[in-house]
Amino acid sequence: MTNFVILPILIPLLTGIILLFFPKKVTFQKVLSFIASVLLVIVSVMLVFQVHNNGIQTLELGGWQPPFGIVLVADMLAILLVSTTSIVSLAVLLYSFYSIDAEREKYYYYPFFQFLITGVVGAFLTGDIFNLFVFFEVMLIASYILIVHGGTKVQLRESFKYVLVNVISSALFVAGVAYLYAVAGTLNMAHLSERIGSLETQAPILTVIAVLFLIVFGLKGALFPLYFWLPASYAAPPSAIAAIFGALLTKVGIYSIFRTYSVVFVHDTGYTHQILAVLAALTMIFGVVGAVAHQDVKKILVYNVIVAVGFVLFGVSTLTEEGFMGAIFYLMHDMVIKGALFLLIGAMVVVAGTSHLKDMGGLIKHHAQLGWMFFTAVMALVGIPPLSGFIGKLLLVQGGVSAGQYWIVAAMMVSSLLVLYSMIRIFLNGFYGKIQLEHANQYGSTKGLLLPSAILIAVSAGIGLGAEMLYPFVATAAETLLHPEIYIDAVLKE
Amino acid sequence: MLTALHIAIVAPFIAAVFVPFLYKKLPKIHTGWFVLTIPAILFVYFLQYLPVTSSKQTVTAVWDWIPSLGIHFTAHVDGLGLLFALLITGIGMLVVLYSIYYLSKEREALNNFYTFLLMFMGAMLGVVLSDNLIVLYTFWEITSLSSFLLISYWYEREKSRYGALKSMLITVMGGFSMLVGFVMLYAMTGTFSIQEIIASAGDITSHDLFIPAMLTILLGAFTKSAQFPFHIWLPDAMEAPTPVSAYLHSATMVKAGIYLVARLSPVFAFSGEWMWIVAGFGIVTLFWGSFSAVQQTDLKGILAFSTVSQLGMILSMLGVGAAAIHFDSMDDNLYIGATTAAIFHLINHATFKGSLFMMAGIVDHETGTRDIRRLGGLMTVMPITFTIAVIGSFSMAGLPPFNGFLSKEMFFTAMVDITSFQAFNMDSFGVLFPVVAWVASIFTFIYSMMLVFKTFTGKMQPEKLDVKPHEAPFGMLLSPIILVSLVIVFGFFPNILAYTVIEPAMASILPSLLGEGEQFYVDIYFWHGWTIELYMTMGVIGIGTLLYLSLRKWVAVYDVFPSSLTLNHIYDQTVAGVEKVSSQLTGAYMTSSIRHYLLYIFSFFVVALVFVLFNKDAFSVDGATAPISVYEGVLAAVLVTTALVVMFTRSRLKAIIGLGVLGYTIALFFVIFRAPDLALTQLIIETVSVALFLLCFYHLPQISRKLENMRFRAGNFIVSLAVGLTVTLIGISANSSRLFESIAGFFPEASYDEAGGKNMVNVILVDFRGFDTLLEILVLAIAAAGIFTMIKLRLAGRNDL
Repeated sequence: MTNFVILPILIPLLTGIILLFFPKKVTFQKVLSFIASVLLVIVSVMLVFQVHNNGIQTLELGGWQPPFGIVLVADMLAILLVSTTSIVSLAVLLYSFYSIDAEREKYYYYPFFQFLITGVVGAFLTGDIFNLFVFFEVMLIASYILIVHGGTKVQLRESFKYVLVNVISSALFVAGVAYLYAVAGTLNMAHLSERIGSLETQAPILTVIAVLFLIVFGLKGALFPLYFWLPASYAAPPSAIAAIFGALLTKVGIYSIFRTYSVVFVHDTGYTHQILAVLAALTMIFGVVGAVAHQDVKKILVYNVIVAVGFVLFGVSTLTEEGFMGAIFYLMHDMVIKGALFLLIGAMVVVAGTSHLKDMGGLIKHHAQLGWMFFTAVMALVGIPPLSGFIGKLLLVQGGVSAGQYWIVAAMMVSSLLVLYSMIRIFLNGFYGKIQLEHANQYGSTKGLLLPSAILIAVSAGIGLGAEMLYPFVATAAETLLHPEIYIDAVLKE
Repeated sequence: MLTALHIAIVAPFIAAVFVPFLYKKLPKIHTGWFVLTIPAILFVYFLQYLPVTSSKQTVTAVWDWIPSLGIHFTAHVDGLGLLFALLITGIGMLVVLYSIYYLSKEREALNNFYTFLLMFMGAMLGVVLSDNLIVLYTFWEITSLSSFLLISYWYEREKSRYGALKSMLITVMGGFSMLVGFVMLYAMTGTFSIQEIIASAGDITSHDLFIPAMLTILLGAFTKSAQFPFHIWLPDAMEAPTPVSAYLHSATMVKAGIYLVARLSPVFAFSGEWMWIVAGFGIVTLFWGSFSAVQQTDLKGILAFSTVSQLGMILSMLGVGAAAIHFDSMDDNLYIGATTAAIFHLINHATFKGSLFMMAGIVDHETGTRDIRRLGGLMTVMPITFTIAVIGSFSMAGLPPFNGFLSKEMFFTAMVDITSFQAFNMDSFGVLFPVVAWVASIFTFIYSMMLVFKTFTGKMQPEKLDVKPHEAPFGMLLSPIILVSLVIVFGFFPNILAYTVIEPAMASILPSLLGEGEQFYVDIYFWHGWTIELYMTMGVIGIGTLLYLSLRKWVAVYDVFPSSLTLNHIYDQTVAGVEKVSSQLTGAYMTSSIRHYLLYIFSFFVVALVFVLFNKDAFSVDGATAPISVYEGVLAAVLVTTALVVMFTRSRLKAIIGLGVLGYTIALFFVIFRAPDLALTQLIIETVSVALFLLCFYHLPQISRKLENMRFRAGNFIVSLAVGLTVTLIGISANSSRLFESIAGFFPEASYDEAGGKNMVNVILVDFRGFDTLLEILVLAIAAAGIFTMIKLRLAGRNDL
């Protein structure tokens, strides 16, 4: 047990609270947020090594033994995702400094940002399903505010839908928790895992509850056919906020499915995981179809968020070591590269003055750096080696082949190709082509907007080229998920 | 470990990084001069491996990339790899030299051009010198990317972008497919190393994944090497600057597919499917490419289809060459000749096609057009270019004494010989091979003649040209002159290649035939006697000449094919169709109406859960269901009634009061179920929220009079009822199947003994689960700040970017 585990939650939480008291001191807000974000990166990475050296780290809050109290569990999966979150949030924060307008900054933008991170990080670290619900609430309430923050017309319209869908999914979440508690008598995930793993008889009701949780988390994670709320609402807020949403929020839903479908609901995998596999395949296809359908650069990118959901969950559904590792690699990759792409698209829209592809052209003439960074990020997204997307994709294909899911592997490849098509169109028509605007007429500058994306692209290349260094961590994470005993032993210490 | 070999492969990438810098800092010197050193040094470097590979040695150097996943950057030099490495660096050197004169340093963005070109060079070296399939795939995709960037080099041109996109979509599609094939090979053999896979090739032929792996990998090879029907990207790739066409799209990149087929022959070639598919696609491509080339009017268009056709020819030889593997050794093995011919022609093609592309570039550069309808009579003004064209074209047409004649003869031999192969129906249907090969060669002859005579003979038409043509500067002529010299040298002395290059490469393709210390017998010579091949060549020349002279009379044949059936049209329709269908499909359900979205979500919720509930037979009511008392019945009735009132009332006031009643009734339920804390909380919340609603009510506009139609409301009613029922059914089932004892038993005693509190609910809230409570308070704080922000901060009318 170590208090260290709570630090990634406490840092953004306390920072947010302090910042609430100094709304008008923008410089102070920036400095403190920056320090907190850097600190979060350091602490998370340190935790990765601690988990690597000493095994799963837990913290029993209030000293109450699980399953009676709440326990925080930093296993490798959780802490890897926390670390990735911290890096992405640091980059987005830097981008915010140059892109969020002064009025927004004076109205608690930075505290809300920190609270959002609190929710995301907490959701990864908790070992209790009800506490997961609470962290979801923290994350969601912060996201409600951020999506409407500034109160422009499109924001008001889209935030209403966003809030409504999420309130409903929260209600279903609570119902699911109640059912689970009725059947299994506990809400601690390790305890649930132990109990459900020890079942000798069929437990059909658990299968129903598993599917209910799939729906609940699928609503958050944008699984087919539950993602309808996502495209418009993610395209509404300013780019920095959209980047955080696109890079992190859906990932919490995916993570929750990953966690519950590997540690908790493993009693009837032939049934539940086949459902997951089919939904994952449909998610990829419908997601990419949406991306191809649009001519608005923000929308194209937003639909690509959905495709990644399908990729990761397909890996989860295979229940193989390669599939799990692929899912983890891909999840981390996607957080980084979606963050980068949202920021780059944001900068692109700033200089073009429009998000409509038909009105753009020749941007590369004056914004070569932006253009080539975008190109590189697209290649990473598509999974062109040696960038980050490739390792995940390779492992996912391996997992799919060893699970015999050839059709879904084929669907994955077709979606990848269409992802490429949807994104390269932006490059060909936006950056290439005839110049629409001479430099003097362009709407804004990219000052300060490129560095954050550059950091993220460098991280992406690092994940790809340095995959060997990351491998032992990812392998440990996958191992824990494939063998829940490790998790159970660490938490319940029997 | 990192070795000089690895450095050689990545050297072009490293150099690419410095190109923009040199371009900027030294604008006086054409950047190409710096770039030229890279292929020159590498060419010399690779030459020193010739003695190694010709003595059947291989060099392998391993540099770990992701060893945990079996991915090593293993550089492997053998006969086949070295042949390609020499082609890449050798032709690369000539192309860079040519480009220095072709691309003006004043007008062109040379930094981009040479960066992409070096990227390509490195990637291509990586493809042919990597033993690890994943590393090979990595470089393979980078060649596709750099090809994309080079085709779209003049990015303001619509056609450049079109061609770039087309080539990328088709070759990357093949790449993805190939990756799946590689993973399947891994699944069968447990390794990504090509040499190790070859070693275990015998064990996998009956594996279920053997054929799928073969097909997916071949798709990669065929798309890259522009085989019918995937060849359509290559003609459009001609939008690239001509040095690029000469380098990537004729001499090197398009041969990556051929390389892969040759490289993996030892793995797959034993199966009849391989032989038929490779040889079949090759021969069809050979025919279709040559047939289509005759129709072209653009010099580069002719050369593009000619390249397609020649690639098909090489591939068909590799395909029939697979027959040799069915014998244990090379004694009396008739079919080895096909492989020899494939390798030899691969080299020959690089020489004559490279020179022809450069010739086309020179004509374009000096006359301003490549359209043969506008050209003619250039022989006198451009004598050197004319000579280059004659040598290149005659070699391509298979005329003596050039190298193309030799390999064409060997090709005919291979095609005739295969009809005697006693397996896979080669002895019956196989007769198609020599027939198609012969017909295709006639067309090859025709377009080769067109290249020379339409451009250089006849009457000059200066009125159709924008500039006055003159001979190109010497620097630009140098590279094609070197290439045509090779055409002649290889024609007269083919055997200088025999044991240095061709035989070692054959050893890589057909390793199973060689015993310890053995080598293939390679002897290439002009005169074979009065054989069938010679008659075939004479027929080609005779009929070809007749057809060329009467071209105008029968060219209408091409109009027979309706344009809606061409492959290009199908590609365009597919791309447009995918976009259109996507648009329609997405537009159909993404209505941006929250009511629709909720309808989908709830419908899915109900259908999925009810299906699983009954499909898994999970529904049960056998547990202890509590008796329903009169009070509860009454309260339930009140709940239902008020809920209905809220829904159907047209007055906002009534709706608010209804909601209040609903809340209070729930509070009463809590009272009955003996949860006073909850009842109190619920009462407070209801009171506050009703009061707030009433306060706001004053400011709200009148409720809309518009009534939804009955069908809509009935639909919603059914859905909401179904959701309620589903939740209830699962609730009852969950309650009746309590599988484990609840942990709740712990709390009553622990609250008092350990936590020191008498009210268990309070202790849970503030102690056992105090963390939850803390966060819930946070939620309230965020909400409060958020509402404050919403009210105060209104960037109304602002359109955010």
